[in-house]
Amino acid sequence: MLDSTAIKIEGICKAYKDTLALQDINLSIRQGEIFGLIGPDGAGKTSLFRILTTLTLADKGRASVNGRDVVEDMADIRRTIGYMPGHFALYQDLSVEENLNFYATVFGTTVEANYATIKDIYCQIEKFKDRRARDLSGGMKQKLALCCALVHKPEVLFLDEPTTGVDAVSRREFWAMLARIKESGVTIMVSTPYMDEARLCDRIGLILGGRIIDKGTPEEIISRYPDRLYAVRDENMFRILAALRPVEGVLRCSSFGCECHLALAEGGPSGEEILSVLSAAGIEGCSIEKIRPGIEDCFIRLS
Amino acid sequence: MWKYLLKKEFKQFLRDPGTPGMTLMFPFLIILVFPFASNMEIRNIKLVMVDNDCSEQSALMMEKCASSGYFEVKDIVNSPSEAQKMMDDGRIDAILTINAGFAKYIEGDVPATDALPVGIKVNTVNGTRGSIGSQYLNACVSSYVMSAKGMSGGTAGQSPQIDVTETYRYNEFLDYKEFMIPALIVIAITMMCGFLPALNIVSEKERGTIEQMNVTPVSKAAFIICKMVPYVVVAYFMVFSCMLLSWLAFGYGCAGSLLDVCIFTLAHIVVMASFGLLVSNYSENAQQAMFVIWFFSMAFMLVAGIFTPLESMPQWAKIVAYANPLTYYADAMRGIFLKGSTLADTWKDLVCLVGIGGTTTLWAILSYHKTN
Repeated sequence: MLDSTAIKIEGICKAYKDTLALQDINLSIRQGEIFGLIGPDGAGKTSLFRILTTLTLADKGRASVNGRDVVEDMADIRRTIGYMPGHFALYQDLSVEENLNFYATVFGTTVEANYATIKDIYCQIEKFKDRRARDLSGGMKQKLALCCALVHKPEVLFLDEPTTGVDAVSRREFWAMLARIKESGVTIMVSTPYMDEARLCDRIGLILGGRIIDKGTPEEIISRYPDRLYAVRDENMFRILAALRPVEGVLRCSSFGCECHLALAEGGPSGEEILSVLSAAGIEGCSIEKIRPGIEDCFIRLS
Repeated sequence: MWKYLLKKEFKQFLRDPGTPGMTLMFPFLIILVFPFASNMEIRNIKLVMVDNDCSEQSALMMEKCASSGYFEVKDIVNSPSEAQKMMDDGRIDAILTINAGFAKYIEGDVPATDALPVGIKVNTVNGTRGSIGSQYLNACVSSYVMSAKGMSGGTAGQSPQIDVTETYRYNEFLDYKEFMIPALIVIAITMMCGFLPALNIVSEKERGTIEQMNVTPVSKAAFIICKMVPYVVVAYFMVFSCMLLSWLAFGYGCAGSLLDVCIFTLAHIVVMASFGLLVSNYSENAQQAMFVIWFFSMAFMLVAGIFTPLESMPQWAKIVAYANPLTYYADAMRGIFLKGSTLADTWKDLVCLVGIGGTTTLWAILSYHKTN
């Protein structure tokens, strides 16, 4: 069971007028895993979600969720998936409890029947159950939306950028909740623009400009990183970037917060040689350190 | 599931800060305020009289005009130029000039072929007011002259006269209010059922809630029908409260059957609601939808024979009116209210209304795309 495919995407293409949103997407997502679709804004994440949740039709290609075709078995899919769109899409003028009851009822079930599924999350917002959804804080809204997406015990959960615009603490809590939901056997497909969330997924797909540029477990993707990677620190980032980019053997040089990640080709300059290049350019006092690449480094290499 | 969808719609409707209050206010406005404001009877025509005759006869005629009820006598002056000045300043609507020799004319001291020494000048900036005002004034003067001449016995050998008596049917006192109330109900239903469901659906689109609904097993039809039901209820509430109010306030009853009113109202609701839906399908946001519906409502109302008779419109406007659902609904409602028309008399209206409704519904369904 664990190895069988939950979501199968074959050659999906989608265009909006002249803009190609998705170009030949092929993915297969296994039962019971958390699959992360990772890419910047405008990469095509939401378009792919909308096709899989039967909200829009692909121009080309086929997709299925738990063996049900997204076009032919639309009604069945709708009964068995949970979808949480990127923006808060519950009724703002209904209370927390009313929203939850409403979504349970439209799926032909009751909150009581599936209380176990949402208990963990719902208990955190239960004390606000009479409050209108519009008066909730961002984190609370997100928990309510997750409850509503889970209230009918879906087989597959689609979460479109659930952590965008959410504070760091709530983000961590949210991923902990996802891990617990996964325990109950639900397949989760989640999209995020944050690369640091990639390692929390079982497998990820990197998406850019409507194409999947790499896929696999986070470790696989990182292990495929071919170059030597160094972190250079200096108080003036710009002069390092300017000094190192023209150097032969430097493949990429990009700023990463307070440091600069430097990818060097096999057989290119060593760390010490880089330091001497910098001091020759009049830049003293910076440190260099060999590091393990992260998902973001892989993303930058592929983009 | 249907029950809960409906429950949700009613809950949202009642929680809305504006709509429930509006629903209650509307019938009052429609029955107790608008009929007076949209009244086309011309009253209070500001009149100035110029008396150059200064006789008993001229005084009597002025009194006759003043007491007719249509005029508000502003002044009696002696010089025509003074009166003209007042009209130029826009202070008065009409001037009645009685020239010297009026009394003599009445008393028959001049040949009957002579012109009546009375002049009427009317301000026709507002054409309707002007022409109706001059008619009233004419009628007053001629009725006075007739009766005065008869009394003084000036004309000895009277020629036989043809006397025309008018009988007004269906609205015997020519009460404009009674004529307008069915039409105002029509307007209210149009506004209610054209605007609100469309805006409601567009706002679900805007907030993205429709997306969350679309991934549930709720069918599009169920969703839309449940959205409509509160507005149907509200529309009937408005029709009946308007009827009750107009009966209480003016004593107007509906001459026809209530069932016919219900049937036509339902047909009209379907037309307007599907039209609203159609607009919402093509609109991205509430502002857009609002503007488009407002534009069409305005056009519908003006070219429907509600305020001005269809017969006096040019040919092209008549063609527009025949494509306009309000034409049929207003015609039928007036027929039912004033004449007691039955379905046997108004079936053509119903067929047209259903035809238009069917077209817009079909179009609305076809234009609802899922691809974007």
